[in-house]
Amino acid sequence: MADLKIKGITVVETFAEAFPMVGTRIVITAPSLKWALTAAQSMTGFATSVIACGAEAGIDRILSPKETLDGRPGVAVLLFTMDADKLQRQLRNRVGQCVLTSPGSACFAGLEGEKKLKLGASLRFFGDGWQMSKVVGGRRFWRIPVMDGEFLCEATTGLTKKAVGGGNLLVLGKSYQAVLGATERAVEAISEIEGVIAPFPGGIVRSGSKVGSQYKGQIASTNHAYCPTLKAAVDTKLPLNVEAVMEIVIDGLTKESVAKAMHAGVHAVAKGGAKEGVTHITAGNYGGNLGPHHFHLKEIVA
Amino acid sequence: MSALTFQLKNAPEERLDLSPLTPDRLGGLKAKDIEALAIGTTRVPVTVGDMFKVKGKDASKVVFVGTDARCDKIGDAMAEGAIVVDGNAGAYLGAGMKKGKIEVKGSAGALAGASMAGGTIDISRHAGERAGGINVGETLGMRGGVLTIGGNAGPLIGERMRRGLVIVSGDAGDYAGARMVAGTILFKRGVGANAGFGLRRGSLIFVKEPKTILPTFGDCGVLEFDYLRLLERWLRANSKPTKLGARARRLMGDMSVLGKGEMLILA
Repeated sequence: MADLKIKGITVVETFAEAFPMVGTRIVITAPSLKWALTAAQSMTGFATSVIACGAEAGIDRILSPKETLDGRPGVAVLLFTMDADKLQRQLRNRVGQCVLTSPGSACFAGLEGEKKLKLGASLRFFGDGWQMSKVVGGRRFWRIPVMDGEFLCEATTGLTKKAVGGGNLLVLGKSYQAVLGATERAVEAISEIEGVIAPFPGGIVRSGSKVGSQYKGQIASTNHAYCPTLKAAVDTKLPLNVEAVMEIVIDGLTKESVAKAMHAGVHAVAKGGAKEGVTHITAGNYGGNLGPHHFHLKEIVA
Repeated sequence: MSALTFQLKNAPEERLDLSPLTPDRLGGLKAKDIEALAIGTTRVPVTVGDMFKVKGKDASKVVFVGTDARCDKIGDAMAEGAIVVDGNAGAYLGAGMKKGKIEVKGSAGALAGASMAGGTIDISRHAGERAGGINVGETLGMRGGVLTIGGNAGPLIGERMRRGLVIVSGDAGDYAGARMVAGTILFKRGVGANAGFGLRRGSLIFVKEPKTILPTFGDCGVLEFDYLRLLERWLRANSKPTKLGARARRLMGDMSVLGKGEMLILA
């Protein structure tokens, strides 16, 4: 294989295999950025993987008061699931429990979308008959009375079926610190890209998984080929000198945004060069038969 | 192409019904056909050609020049395009309109924007009684769109309004927002007696505190409303800048009916 090299780091000639997802974007505002972030972090908590969280979610970006509908500091949040019904349920529960409850919050649509998901249109029932609907500039908003005043919430937000989940990068290195540092840098670079999130803790996952296991009922298990402690016993993918592997998983509203994020990620990892201790950048796939989206690293790097 | 222009030759001797002269109804008509349209309201036949000098071709923008308070039903039930009135308008300006834009450089008569369902009406000066109110044959007032009045408004503005936004920059008459079902009226100056009489739902926003308030409205105190911030930013983005702030005294009413409406008196 003609592997590419950037600053001495081997970029393996392979591809990331990604899946279609449904996604939505909402904007949360609050009296201060601190409280907008608090609501957003609460809403996107426990949303690393659809395997057991029901959804994958994260903060897209921070919005200045000039960019929000009510002129307060805001945070744009992305939420992804495998189908529209699940997305609707997750959106209602997460906004209902984490945003409606957060002091001073308001919630607006963040995406036009091909279809609409109910936002305030279902949360309004919390108002128990005292809720008020207001149409401003053709968009409907619900004013729901709460103990600190009113929760202002747009009736609907957009849904896209063109979202892509599971874009990924695997970073291999001969020093644990180097791998962690390089992936942190990559997550930072990816956070600058609009319309994507890295849903895992701090954007990084250290327990990449494979489908299935030897135990009945365990649907995902450790990706043994990338576990450095098992090199001698399994069909390993790791050179002997590799000490750690970390993965960045990327979900995006479009396939283009995921590709852009992977591009930014690869170059941020490579910035430190081989001397830092990173040896390989590769990507995870299932042979190409499961997911329709293939992000070839060779093309991503360019 | 230049806008299709109707210039009034002489002050009309009877009320004129200008409802045929909307962009959607004029589209595709030849100049000769347009001049033959009947616009009279008495037994004496009156055509467009008798009253107006017609110029221009582009029917998507219709301009009236020199019209007066007897020129009724301008933009009646219009569904597209734009109308500019360089003069005054009579009764029923844009009544029942669905879409499009009407701009009046003078004043309008009674029932401007009555039962309108969408689109925008901008009146630079005054509007007569029942602006945004109930059109003939209807049970509800304005159902959508935006009606802006630069001057004063007559009594019963927004009567039995159901949706939409009305902005009054001058003073409004008695019974403003009477029997409203929903929707929003923004009053930048004073209102007459009995504002919000029979208000079921909907918002009356007052930049200045009304002189009298019906006893059937209950006070909720001064509170913060993110909705006002949202509205203020929308007004600014749509060249109707009005400083609202976020704090207002909220009165709920009319408690003699449903009582789920509100007055927001800016603080």
